Amino acid sequence: MDIDDILAEVDAQSIPQETKDLQELTRAWIAERVAPELLKWPSALMDRVLERIRQQIESVEEQTGNLDPKANFTLIIIQTELERFKFLIRSFLRARLSKIDAHAAHYAARATSTPSLLSSSETQYLRSHTALLSAHYAASFLGTFPASLRGLEDSTGGVRMVDGPDEDGAVFVRALRDVGSVGVEGTERRFEVRRGDVWVVRWSAVRGWVEMGDMEVI
Amino acid sequence: MALPLPPGLTPPEVAFLCEMELVTVIPRQRLEGLALLGGPIAALNPPHRTSLPLWLALLLKRQRRANILPPPWLSPHSLTAILDHETENEEGFSPPPRLPPQPSNNTLPISPPFLPSSTAEAAPDALPYHWLELGEMLLGAASDDFEDPDNVRKLLRGLREVRMAKLRKGVDVLDAGGGVQMNGVGGMEVSEGRAFIGGVVDGLRKIAASREQQRRDKEREERENGYPGTGDYEDDEMDMQ
Repeated sequence: MDIDDILAEVDAQSIPQETKDLQELTRAWIAERVAPELLKWPSALMDRVLERIRQQIESVEEQTGNLDPKANFTLIIIQTELERFKFLIRSFLRARLSKIDAHAAHYAARATSTPSLLSSSETQYLRSHTALLSAHYAASFLGTFPASLRGLEDSTGGVRMVDGPDEDGAVFVRALRDVGSVGVEGTERRFEVRRGDVWVVRWSAVRGWVEMGDMEVI
Repeated sequence: MALPLPPGLTPPEVAFLCEMELVTVIPRQRLEGLALLGGPIAALNPPHRTSLPLWLALLLKRQRRANILPPPWLSPHSLTAILDHETENEEGFSPPPRLPPQPSNNTLPISPPFLPSSTAEAAPDALPYHWLELGEMLLGAASDDFEDPDNVRKLLRGLREVRMAKLRKGVDVLDAGGGVQMNGVGGMEVSEGRAFIGGVVDGLRKIAASREQQRRDKEREERENGYPGTGDYEDDEMDMQ
C-alpha cells in the first residue's frame, strides 16, 4: 500500500453517505435498464433513499410559503434535484415492472427460491397479475379444455412452457476490479479482465461478478 | 406503467447520466450551502472555484449566476492531439483517462459519471466516458465560456466520425461468444452501438446454437444406428473454423 492508496482510502471515507447512495442507486438503475433479467431488490438502499426523499418533500412544503427571492432560488435547486431523484426511482421501478410483466411465471417461480429478488409491493403485484391472468385464461378458453391439458407450466416433451428472459443476451460491462480470467460457457473463449476494461459479453458469463459488484453493466 | 423501452439506455437517459458529472464553476453570486439528496453542496463564494454536478452548473449558468470552466481535454489543443491519435491508430479507441488508485475491498468502487474526469483538474490528454454528451451540453449552454467554441465543435465532430467508423468496423471481430474488448468507448457510443452490436452477437449465437443442436442430434442418431460418423460431420467442422 503506497501513499496514493492511503489517500484514496481517506477520500472514500470522506464521501458522505448521501453521495454513496446516489452512486449506488444510479448503478442499480443502469443495471436494471440494461441487464436482460431482473436483479435483486436493493432493499436497504431503497429504504434510505425513499426516506430522504420523503423528508426533502416535507421541507420543500414548509419552505414554499417563503417569499424571499433568494430562498426562492434555493428552492428551485432543491426541487430540480428532487425531480431527478424521482425520475431515477420511477424509471428503476418501471424497468423492473416491465420485466416482471414479460416473464411473470418465471419470476414467480424464482421469487419463492430467492425471496430477496422482489420487494413486498412487487410480490403483491406479481401475485395479483398472475391471478388475473389465470382467471382470464380459464374463463376465455382453458375452461373448455380437458382437465389434463389445462396446465400452463408443463415441461413434458423437453420444452418448458414457462418462458424466461434471454440470459445469454450480449451486454456491455465495465470491470470495477481486476477479476482475472472470464470464460464464456459453451464456447472456447476465455479472456483476462482487468480493472477499467470494457467488454461486450454474454450476460450469463458475467452475471456473478455484476451481482458481487466487481463489474458493472453500462 | 411498465417501461415500454428495450434494454439499454436511450440517448436522453445517457444525457441525464452525464448531468451527474462534476464540472468546475466560477460563481458570480453568493449562494448558501445546500443539503441536497445527493450530498451537501458547499456555499458558493465568488470568485472561488467549486465543483458542482453538471445539472446544477447548467442551471446556474442559464441564470447568469456562474461561469463554467471547461475541462482541459475540451480545448482545441488537446482535442487536436487526441484526434491525431485516433486517426493514426486504427485499432481501438484512444485510451480512457487514468483510473484513480484502487479503493480497498469494502468500499464501493467509483465509476463514471462520478469520477472527477471533467473538472478543471482533469487529465488533458484523454477523453472520459461522457466526452461527447458533456462537450455538446457545454457548447450548447456555455459556449461563451470557451475560448474558441467553433474550433472545439469542429474537432468534436471530427472525433465522433473517426470513432463511429471504428465502432462500425469493429463488427468484423464480433462472434457468437461475445468477448469483444472496447476500452475507451464513450457512453453515447455504447447507447448508439448497443442495438447493432448486441443484435449481431445475439444473432450469431442463435445461428451457432442451431448448428450445435443439429450436430448433437446427429451424433445421437449415429450412436443409436450403430454406424460411425460420415463425411458430413467433418464438413461441419470445417465450416466452424
